[in-house]
Amino acid sequence: MRSRTSLNKHRLLVSYERRHNLIGFAFVFPVVIFLLMFVLYPVLYNVWLSFTDSSLIKKTSSFVGFQNYVKIFSNKLFYKYFWNTCKWTFWSVLGQLALGLGIALLIVRPMKGGTALRSFLLIPYVVPAVTLALVSKWILNSDYGIVSYWLQQAGLLEARQSLLAMQGPAMWVVVILNIWRSYPFPMLIYWAALKSIDKQIYEASTVDGANRWQTFIYMTLPQLKNTTIVLAVLRVIWTATYYDLIFMVTGGGPSGSTTHLPILIYQASFGSYQIGYAAAISMILGVLMFGCIIFYVTRSGLTED
Amino acid sequence: MAKGMKRTKISRNIVVGILIAILVVIVGFPLAWMALSSFKPGVELFTIPPKIFPQNWSLEWYKQAFSNDDVIHYFLNSLYIASVVMVCDMIIGTLTAYGLTRFRFKGRKVIMISVLAAYCVPPIMLMLPLYKIMNTLALSGSHAGVIIAHLTVTLPFSVWLLVSFFKKLPKEIDEAAVMDGANEVQVFTKIEMPLCVSGVLSTGIMAFIMSWNEFLLASVLINKESMKTLTVGLANYISSTHIDWGIIMALGTITTIPVILLFALVQKYFVEGMTAGAVKG
Repeated sequence: MRSRTSLNKHRLLVSYERRHNLIGFAFVFPVVIFLLMFVLYPVLYNVWLSFTDSSLIKKTSSFVGFQNYVKIFSNKLFYKYFWNTCKWTFWSVLGQLALGLGIALLIVRPMKGGTALRSFLLIPYVVPAVTLALVSKWILNSDYGIVSYWLQQAGLLEARQSLLAMQGPAMWVVVILNIWRSYPFPMLIYWAALKSIDKQIYEASTVDGANRWQTFIYMTLPQLKNTTIVLAVLRVIWTATYYDLIFMVTGGGPSGSTTHLPILIYQASFGSYQIGYAAAISMILGVLMFGCIIFYVTRSGLTED
Repeated sequence: MAKGMKRTKISRNIVVGILIAILVVIVGFPLAWMALSSFKPGVELFTIPPKIFPQNWSLEWYKQAFSNDDVIHYFLNSLYIASVVMVCDMIIGTLTAYGLTRFRFKGRKVIMISVLAAYCVPPIMLMLPLYKIMNTLALSGSHAGVIIAHLTVTLPFSVWLLVSFFKKLPKEIDEAAVMDGANEVQVFTKIEMPLCVSGVLSTGIMAFIMSWNEFLLASVLINKESMKTLTVGLANYISSTHIDWGIIMALGTITTIPVILLFALVQKYFVEGMTAGAVKG
């Protein structure tokens, strides 16, 4: 008699658990379907496209194996654009992390108006790229731009010249603009990380006679190591694949000096309509990013409970 | 000794103050310059040396911008697309975050990881396949296509932000309600929803901002002038051969102001959500 009730109880519990799990899955079902249809499928479809000679101007396409990849790697310009991507990514990420950390160190101390200041400094995070692009084209305009005017007055630029029209400086301009719009994220993360560092270690180090600089190098920086690694990886993914800003400010010019892989993918797709070829370039970028994504997802700690 | 320390403290405060002032100028200058330029009449826009403040404030450029039907379309299109994206994100995002944080079903971990991985898939990699898919689904050139495309970008972000909100809500309330005989759906609608309304709304507004700002996918999926979004229309203006700087500055200003205001509204939640579990060391 007794064993029977406990068996029933057990059955009830199992069925409750099964129902509970089923309902839980029902809640996430829409997202699963959406991600399968519009993220996973497109990514796989892109893999397939990269092995075809698909084009936007002809109806049929056929499987061509690695032909697109061979074509890419035998193109000398590809290496130039790849190097541009590396330069753009490296300096943008280094700049935004350094600036983000610097500002976080400045504002982490409690001060009057601190919250308002932090809010103000976060603004670039939501400024549309198109706004930044139009302002920068305006202030760097060769004839009427205020920054061009200052540089021309200072003798750093010749009259009627713009930094955006010069092969070397154009890349630096877009990197600086990109740092301007992307430092708030690292700033916020560093700010939170700094706040969570145990104050006692500072007290201990002051007692031991360490100066401010030593405390920063030996106490603070090691505590920020993991944060920095995860942040850097995430920002590398975003920066290396970021298209909008360069497209709108320089369009990849002058003479390809700011063309990076995202611009190249766009040009191959909608400039010359060779979408098989474009898909192959995006696969190369994707494979490089894949490692970063795996690293980020496993190291970020976001999926832990 | 004490006096010396006080002095170094004061001088340090001065240095910090100067650095902050420089930062504020660097961040504020481009936006302020855009807004100021938009109020300068044509003559002043092109004087050398440029003056910082307009001598005669004028609304000329705003009038000209809005006398163009296309511009009004851009606005309404952006508003429509971003609003639908916002609502979809709030509904699907909340369901997902609730399911992921309150249930322990098989495959839960896989889904969490997939959402995070999807968050990392950049728009440039989705551009081409989405373009082809929308053609197949007969959605190219439609706003529905852009909305779906924007959801691929915003949904993983929203889920991620909402999961961090739901994690903070105490589970004990749920359990107490279940003890009292409430079922899962009732727990969700009667208990969780009211508690997380502000979090869900903030997430929705962030999705609105992301959709409003998005350029690449919207530019690829829409061809017709009257269907374009604000960012796409504006980008066309800056890349045209004859640039009407005054109109562009006016349009840039009205594109940016709503975004900054909305962000100010939700910033507290954004900061909490991003720093809660964003990058754990």
